[in-house]
Amino acid sequence: MRFLVRSWEYRRPRLWVGVRVACGIFNVALGVLLLASVRWLGPLTWLAALPLAGAALIFWTVYRLQQDSVQRVRELEQSRAGLVEDSTVRLRRIERDLHDGAQAQMVAVAMKLGLAREKLGGMINGTMPPDLRRVLELVDAAHRGAKEAIAELRDLARGIHPAVLDHGLGIAVTTLAARSDVPVELLVDLPERPAAAIETIAYFCAAELLSNVAKHSRARHASLAVVGVAGVLQVRVSDDGSGGARLEAGGGLAGLADRVGTVDGRLQVSSPSGGPTVVIVELPCRA
Amino acid sequence: MSELERPMRIAIAEDSAVVRAGLVEILADRGHEVVAAVGNGEDLRAAVDEHQPDVIVVDVRMPPGYTDEGLRAAIAIRRDHPTTGVLVFSQYIETRYAADLLGAASGAGAAGVGYLLKDRVADVGEFVEALSRVAGGGTALDPEVVTQLLGASRRTDGLGALTARERAVLGLIAEGRSNGAIAGILVVSERSVEKHVSNIFTKLGLAPSDADHRRVLAVLRYLAP
Repeated sequence: MRFLVRSWEYRRPRLWVGVRVACGIFNVALGVLLLASVRWLGPLTWLAALPLAGAALIFWTVYRLQQDSVQRVRELEQSRAGLVEDSTVRLRRIERDLHDGAQAQMVAVAMKLGLAREKLGGMINGTMPPDLRRVLELVDAAHRGAKEAIAELRDLARGIHPAVLDHGLGIAVTTLAARSDVPVELLVDLPERPAAAIETIAYFCAAELLSNVAKHSRARHASLAVVGVAGVLQVRVSDDGSGGARLEAGGGLAGLADRVGTVDGRLQVSSPSGGPTVVIVELPCRA
Repeated sequence: MSELERPMRIAIAEDSAVVRAGLVEILADRGHEVVAAVGNGEDLRAAVDEHQPDVIVVDVRMPPGYTDEGLRAAIAIRRDHPTTGVLVFSQYIETRYAADLLGAASGAGAAGVGYLLKDRVADVGEFVEALSRVAGGGTALDPEVVTQLLGASRRTDGLGALTARERAVLGLIAEGRSNGAIAGILVVSERSVEKHVSNIFTKLGLAPSDADHRRVLAVLRYLAP
């Protein structure tokens, strides 16, 4: 049905429905007039069928338009619900990561330093036997813990907003490909910079898909293409692994598909058993 | 370990391995015996049944649901082992958790109860002191717990009769401070703190049977829902 509707009609839907209805009424009137003129037209009265058929076609498109917009509202509602759910889940995951990771790590660091401080104090006051080796052990462990906490915070921050995206999607995915455990052949062709929200979604798709390759596919090679053509940004990740990736409800790919759906994008998976796996994500360059 | 600290037998439930190891380390370092260090509420209950420790240290949020499993285990242990002290600690102070815990404590009677922010563990000396207070039947409530519970409390009976100064004194008792320490904080003489304390007991209708025990009861009556 979409082929009958031009994209600019979405901006003034009422106006264009009005135009269609007016054309339809005009055709009906013309048809009735021709029918009423049977006395003069004689055998040519069948011409009345033309405007009437035209009117039927026009009213049919109006009806389908209506259906189409109902369908579209339903899709938007679903994708908005998905988006809200997705952001809640993400926030909860960040909170959990912080709680279990850096926060716990820092509590342990503070305990070790607290113990070391007490021991040093006791040694200086002479209430404890001098045992600098033990204090060094404690400070050493605290130092290690602090470095681990820093690493965890850095990873977490990168998961929230990859700072590398500030320099553009091209550089960001180049870094991503370089960091992958499976060798990645990279193709980037972005004549113009997509909107920031689109870049972020594209980046997370590429990151998640490459990490899937490393985790599940047993592939030896992968390729990542990020190409912008005619207002569409395509992210294509393929590998020569064992295949069998599925778009299942609740799975990682379905989560990505939901996210992609929030900006009217699409995610397609082709992954026959035995491979190869190809995942294609298409996003509008402007959200 | 200071001369005043009696060695305690302690059970720990904390799901984060690093924090658990840290706790075991600081407690063992001070000569206490950690009889069990587990990662969830179920294991803690089993460990308490088996070892009968003097006091338990419990994280509120633990597997499997990561909500209030630890607290529920603590309340159950409170019921089954009324003489075991319970020190709950967590990353955040939740008013409802504190209220539940104190409610269970005042129901069961005597043994000590505490609720501290996890950060307090960093001051090792104070933390171990709080723990031994709880093991000995006293209270150790985080200043934040006291503030929040007072803010949430809508009760007026008895409490309404307390003066502002008496409330402040009771708040400090809830944290587990001695009269001497309270005098230092409020910059008054210890004698006048004693006077406030006895006024509080009278106003809350607590008989002068056991001075220490009355302090706990006053706190529970004051803060528990």
